[in-house]
Amino acid sequence: MAKALHVPSDAEYADVSSQRLLGFLFFLISDCVIFGDFIFSYLYLRDVAPVWPPPGIERPYLYLAAVNSMVLFGSGATMHYAMEGIRRDRRRQFVAFILATIVLGSLFLAGQAYEYTHLHDTWAGSTFGASFFTLTGLHGFHVLIGVIYLITVFIQTLRGTYTQQRHFGLTAATLYWHFVDVIWVALFFLFYIY
Amino acid sequence: MELNLVLRGIALIGALIVGATALIVLRAEWRKTALEDHVTKIMMVLLTVGCVEVVLVALGKLGRM
Repeated sequence: MAKALHVPSDAEYADVSSQRLLGFLFFLISDCVIFGDFIFSYLYLRDVAPVWPPPGIERPYLYLAAVNSMVLFGSGATMHYAMEGIRRDRRRQFVAFILATIVLGSLFLAGQAYEYTHLHDTWAGSTFGASFFTLTGLHGFHVLIGVIYLITVFIQTLRGTYTQQRHFGLTAATLYWHFVDVIWVALFFLFYIY
Repeated sequence: MELNLVLRGIALIGALIVGATALIVLRAEWRKTALEDHVTKIMMVLLTVGCVEVVLVALGKLGRM
């Protein structure tokens, strides 16, 4: 005989969600450590080099990166309003803002792909190139995963998985997306400004 | 040269809009006390810092070409 599926009450769901949230925050902290490792190795390489960037290496195009940064930061704002849409049970707001976030995230990836194909350096070309492609590539991979994650939670929400009271998956997606934004604040400073 | 100006203009306008939005969100979230709200506040502050970075770049006060 098939076992009846236990549907948790709102109180049970809230309790489990708070534990999951803590676990998810530990995941984000561990991800911060990974980025921190690469950032420190970049700073070390930079510190020991007599000239930076190494001779013959051009810095990436600053103003294109500035526009691309704004595309990503803008997606952080739209993701917040998508989350607010679910919290207030405004489906249209949610749909409009999460679609905007997915489009902006994809545009950021397209901008990064354009930059990669036009940069006069390679992964193995110099210490600058190695650091640049490793760190921005790792970040770009996170953005790609984030876009896939957002598409998944968008479809799940349309199917009724997430509601005004029960939306942990969306909360996690929002925090992940903000995390990806904030990491870019540091990378933009390190590679394009500093 | 003109492309630079266009890109700087877009970056400046975008940074002002997103920065202002981040501050509005921060103000709205300020009194909330759940764990995810505190994380959101930290993220919004850092997002504002990013927007300030971009504004300074667009105005030519930061960054080297």
